[in-house]
Amino acid sequence: MVKTPFLSKESADEVEEVKFHYAFFLPAEDSSFFSRLREGAKDAASSRDCSISFHSIDSDPLSFEMAKYSGFDGIGLYLYEKDRSKLQYLSEILGEGIPVVQIENEVIQGPGSFFIGTNNFDIGKGIGQLALDTSIDRLNMVLVYSKKNPGVMSDRNLVEMGLKSVLGDRLSALSTEVTSLNPLDTGMLAYDLLKKKPSIDIIVLTDPNDTLMTVQAIIDMNLVGMVRIIGFGEHETIKSYIEKGVLLGSIVRNPYRIGFSTVMALKELSINGYTSAYADTGITILSGTSQ
Amino acid sequence: MNNSIKSRLLIYFSISMIIIVFSLGFVLYNSLKLQHIADRRFEDEQFLQEIQSHLMEIQVPLQNYLTSYSSSSLSKLLYIIEILNESIPVKRIITSNDSDLIKREIFFLLDNYLSQLDKIIEQKRGRRVQEYTENYQNLTNLYNYITDRINNVSLLGFRVQLEEYRNYLSLFRRIQLYSIIQILLATAFSFTILMQMINNIVNPMYQLSLMAGKLSNGEFNIPDMHFSSVNEVNQVSEAFNDMKHNIHHYIEEIKKQKEMEQQIMTEKVRNLKMEQLLKRMELYTMQAQMNPHFLFNTINTGVQLAIVEDADRTAEYMENLAALFRYNIREKQFFVSLRHEIKGLDSYFNILKIRFPKTLNLILNVEQELLDSFNCPAMVIQPLVENSVLHAFKSKEGIGTIIVSVSYEDPILNISVSDDGVGIPEDVIKELLTPHTHDYKLSSHVMGLENVIQRCYFFYPDQEDVISIKSNPREGTNIEIRIHTEVQPCIRL
Repeated sequence: MVKTPFLSKESADEVEEVKFHYAFFLPAEDSSFFSRLREGAKDAASSRDCSISFHSIDSDPLSFEMAKYSGFDGIGLYLYEKDRSKLQYLSEILGEGIPVVQIENEVIQGPGSFFIGTNNFDIGKGIGQLALDTSIDRLNMVLVYSKKNPGVMSDRNLVEMGLKSVLGDRLSALSTEVTSLNPLDTGMLAYDLLKKKPSIDIIVLTDPNDTLMTVQAIIDMNLVGMVRIIGFGEHETIKSYIEKGVLLGSIVRNPYRIGFSTVMALKELSINGYTSAYADTGITILSGTSQ
Repeated sequence: MNNSIKSRLLIYFSISMIIIVFSLGFVLYNSLKLQHIADRRFEDEQFLQEIQSHLMEIQVPLQNYLTSYSSSSLSKLLYIIEILNESIPVKRIITSNDSDLIKREIFFLLDNYLSQLDKIIEQKRGRRVQEYTENYQNLTNLYNYITDRINNVSLLGFRVQLEEYRNYLSLFRRIQLYSIIQILLATAFSFTILMQMINNIVNPMYQLSLMAGKLSNGEFNIPDMHFSSVNEVNQVSEAFNDMKHNIHHYIEEIKKQKEMEQQIMTEKVRNLKMEQLLKRMELYTMQAQMNPHFLFNTINTGVQLAIVEDADRTAEYMENLAALFRYNIREKQFFVSLRHEIKGLDSYFNILKIRFPKTLNLILNVEQELLDSFNCPAMVIQPLVENSVLHAFKSKEGIGTIIVSVSYEDPILNISVSDDGVGIPEDVIKELLTPHTHDYKLSSHVMGLENVIQRCYFFYPDQEDVISIKSNPREGTNIEIRIHTEVQPCIRL
């Protein structure tokens, strides 16, 4: 008997009914971080009797505004800037009694609001620990934030504080740069930095794509070993660079775990009405010694 | 199960028809299924479009009511609200399907929209201008958002339907392909079973035709043919096998009859020859008897003359001679008693004793009890003795001895005549002992011996040793007749 695509589609329509519907409001960019976060959330949803819909908090602000009317059982929110209107909508959502889990950035605190993510201070400390592995006494560092990873950029003070808390006086100079959502502009930035600031000892990246582009620039300019790089993420190529000594190390968050934990927390809130108010999903430091 | 051509044709036809009906049913079922699925897709779309149209219908009477307090607008507004309330499902299931989730959102948004609409109407009635003015703006935003979401779900549905349309086309092509394959298979299957049935009939018929050709050439040793075909063919083959056996049997019978006829003809020819031989022998006997009969009368006259002249020895001689001739003349039977034969021999011995009183010694050894117990061919001993007298002592000086012995060793009766004469050459013995099945010429000097030998062979054709001759040059000859007393002599002719 021929099994028709329609029949299989029809059977797909007859998917199992679940109890809860959670909405995730995430930035519009389609980086690997958010992809993994979505994967974690979907996997958690498929095993936890709930469904998830994803909404863009940037390109579809009306969706966030109307969230309080949409019948969601809970919301996972990645709000990386304290926009007034969005804070108001968030307040209205909380006012309607809809539980909200803030991911990575806790822009508002109050009853019904919970936080899950990475402590950016720890990220700064991790970068500092990697920098300590070098034999350079006085470090001239450039910290490159990225709009592709707004969570780190929004709490840049915490990152820098963590960094300074570890390096102390060994940090002689720390400058910051920001890359856009364009995945190619990092290359341009890296060439400019290396040409205009030859005294740079370490470049710190906060996005996997930026890391790969910058390493490529270092290799092209034959500056491997002269300028150290601390990357971000656990891409296989990044691991390979660490093994070869091209990269000093890499800071790894766990977006999958963040997404998974968010759904777990929302489910707990739906059933029990409470969950732990704070969940740090932690970071992992990849270095030549930890490989 | 009936294995006839008719039932087989019926079965094959039924199977083919079932396959064809199944093929068409398969195509029809899938077409209906596809139609049903497509209908369901459009049902959802139509429902959302109706909701959207109702929402649009609300806008004008709402504005009219808020601006002019129109009661007709209010009633229309309430009517549409009522319709929407009835349309929106109470149960909003949650699944992992994106369309379902958006629809659920829309239903909740509609709930809120209608709730806010009620609130605005109440505010209008309460003349709370600022409140309903602000809420109207919110309501408009909500309306726009609901419209967007409906458009979103429609767009999503359209994309899904577009994908499904591709699947539909792919499926339709696949169904067409399967249908063609199925029809081809059904045709091939029907053709195969038809050819199988034809072969089941034609092959045996071909084999039978070959068999018939061989039979027509007289080959009957070919093996039987057994087929697993339809009943009609099987019956024909069995009948053909029976026919082959019967024809073979009849031909064998005819051959046997011919052989028997041939044997009978051979026997007849043989009998005719034997009859001819017997007639010759009878003629010879008659011829042989002619002279003794004439002599018998003459000798009787001589006997009377000798008595008249008192010549006793001559009279005795003539009397024995007369007795011998009388025996020869009177005896007409082929077989006589041994006593009768010996009596004739006695007369001959008396004659010989008178003729050769000093040169011939005759000895007769016969057990008396045998004389009446057995028969022997007539006139077989005297010719043998005569043969010895005539030839055994021609060139021999002194007394010659002839011994006649008769003995019985169950079941053989032995009659032997031996002499101590010159003997018979080997080549002559060989010639004498040759059975004459064809014409032969009588020889005067061996006539008596040869006559006896041939008669022995005639009476006992299956007994080669019925007569034997043993002879050594200068030492003598022994002729022995061995009569098997339990075997009937061949004297029918």
